[in-house]
This record gives sequence, structure tokens and C-alpha cells, in this order.
Amino acid sequence: MFKALSDPTRRRVLQLLRKRPMSAGELSDHFAVSKPTMSAHFSVLQNAGLIEAEKNGRTIIYRLKMSVLEEALLGFAHTVGWDIKAQGGARRAALKSGTKLRPLKQEG
Amino acid sequence: MAAKPIWNYIPPALIALNTLLVAENWYLRPQSAGSWFVVLLLLIGMTLALVLVSRQPKDEAARRAAGGSVRRGIVTAGLILVISLGAKLAVALGAVQYGDIALRATLAIGGAFLAVIGNAIPKTLTPSAALHCDPAKLQAVKRLAGWIWALAGLAVAIAWLTLPINLAEAMSFLLLPSAILVTVWQAVWLRRAKPSAL
Repeated sequence: MFKALSDPTRRRVLQLLRKRPMSAGELSDHFAVSKPTMSAHFSVLQNAGLIEAEKNGRTIIYRLKMSVLEEALLGFAHTVGWDIKAQGGARRAALKSGTKLRPLKQEG
Repeated sequence: MAAKPIWNYIPPALIALNTLLVAENWYLRPQSAGSWFVVLLLLIGMTLALVLVSRQPKDEAARRAAGGSVRRGIVTAGLILVISLGAKLAVALGAVQYGDIALRATLAIGGAFLAVIGNAIPKTLTPSAALHCDPAKLQAVKRLAGWIWALAGLAVAIAWLTLPINLAEAMSFLLLPSAILVTVWQAVWLRRAKPSAL
């Protein structure tokens, strides 16, 4: 779970899912990252038990599955900028999926 | 025949231990016979539930799921009773000087139990196809309920461990009904809210 929360992209995914369940496409639109990289992030979050995927026709809907303690940890990680290993983690995920890592899209 | 995992022996062991504690407490404090009798009835109910889930001849997966949840419930209730009855016995035997320790221990564990339940509320997901309301609103309600019960439970547990009894009582009477009211209000709001497409 700590590995899942240590990456800013994954934290942002969790924050987006706090508003409402979203499809994989909707979530990917918020990031300037390739789809395979996003899939790798989703699978890390799923393996940590923080999100759940549900097939709805041809789209996959992701839903938040965080306990109160996990959400508090997410808030803590976000506040202290817990991303020491973030670039390494994202790079490994990208390497695994065989794609180049691009910087995050600046929002707001 | 395959050996049963050790987990299967914990619920009956807890029931047996609690029965012994009730018998000892009843012997030492016969004036509270009514209370001991109620606890004994509870233990008989737990035993019956355990026997029923062990013998249900339904399909294996459903039986295991139901059995697991009943066993977890029995273990939780059993642990609460062991600590409460153990504390009462310790006071009756004179091993502990503080007369209110049993009450404090029971209510602190009750608060901790509420906090654990609250912590898990947002993790319980219903398949979208089975939902009759907006999934986003349901998620918001579950998150709020989780936070309310986790914090209220934690506050009650800490209050019973640290504050004077009258203050802890006042805090429990303030926090728990407030948590129930907010949860019920949220559930009513969710029922009235019109479902919207995802």
C-alpha cells in the first residue's frame, strides 16, 4: 500500500476517484502519460486494494476502495509530498510496459 | 480427513472460556444473577450460530463465506466478553483495586470496535448493477459514515480510557447519538436523491 501511495500520479488518481467512480479513459485524460503506463498505475492501485475495477460494457469503471485509515494516509502522503521514490516508481512502471515517461500535465 | 485450521478452534475456545468466566463470576457475585444469566443466554446463542454454520449443507463457497463472517462475529464478541468478564472477575477476586475497570475496559473496547467497523465502511462496495442510486453519492455517503464512525469510536475509546467516568459518559452520550443521526440523515438523503448516469 505504501508503494501505491508513494507515486504522485497514483495519488492523483485516488484523489480524482474520491469525487466519483470514473472510467479508465476519463482518468487517463487527466494525465500526460501513455495508456500502458496508466494501466500499470491502475494495476498497482488494484493490487494494493485501493481501487476496484468493474467492467461496464466495453469500458472499465474504477471505484475507490479505501478505508478511513488508508484515506488518512493518502492525505498525509499528499501533505508531506511523499514522492521520494515516485519518479523511480513511475519509471519502473513505464519500463515494464515498454513506454517512454513524459512529465505530468500541469493542471489548474 | 484433512485437519481443520487452527482458526476453526478459536470461536469454540472463546465460548468455553467465557462460560467458565461467567460461572466463576456467578459464584462470586450471586446478587447479579440476572446479568450472568443474560450473558449465558448470549453464549448459548453464539454456540447455536456456530453449530448452524458448521452444518449448513448448501454449496461450499456460500457456506464458507457465511461461516467465516459468523466466526469473525463470534470471535469479536467473544474477545469483548472475555476482557469484560475477566476484568469483573479480577475486581471480585480483589486482584484489581479499581472497581470501574470492567466498565471502562468494556466501553473502550466497544469504542475501538466501532472505530474498526467505521474504518471498513468505505471499503464495502456493491456491484454497480445492483445499485438503485447514484454511485458517486453512495460513495460520498459511505466515506462520510466511515469517517464519522471511525472518529466517534476512537474518541469514545480514548474517553473511557482517560477521562473521569462522568465526562466519558457525557462524551459517549453526545457522540454516539450524533453519529447515528448524521448516518440516518445521510441514508435518507441518499434514498431521496435521484439516480444519475455515471
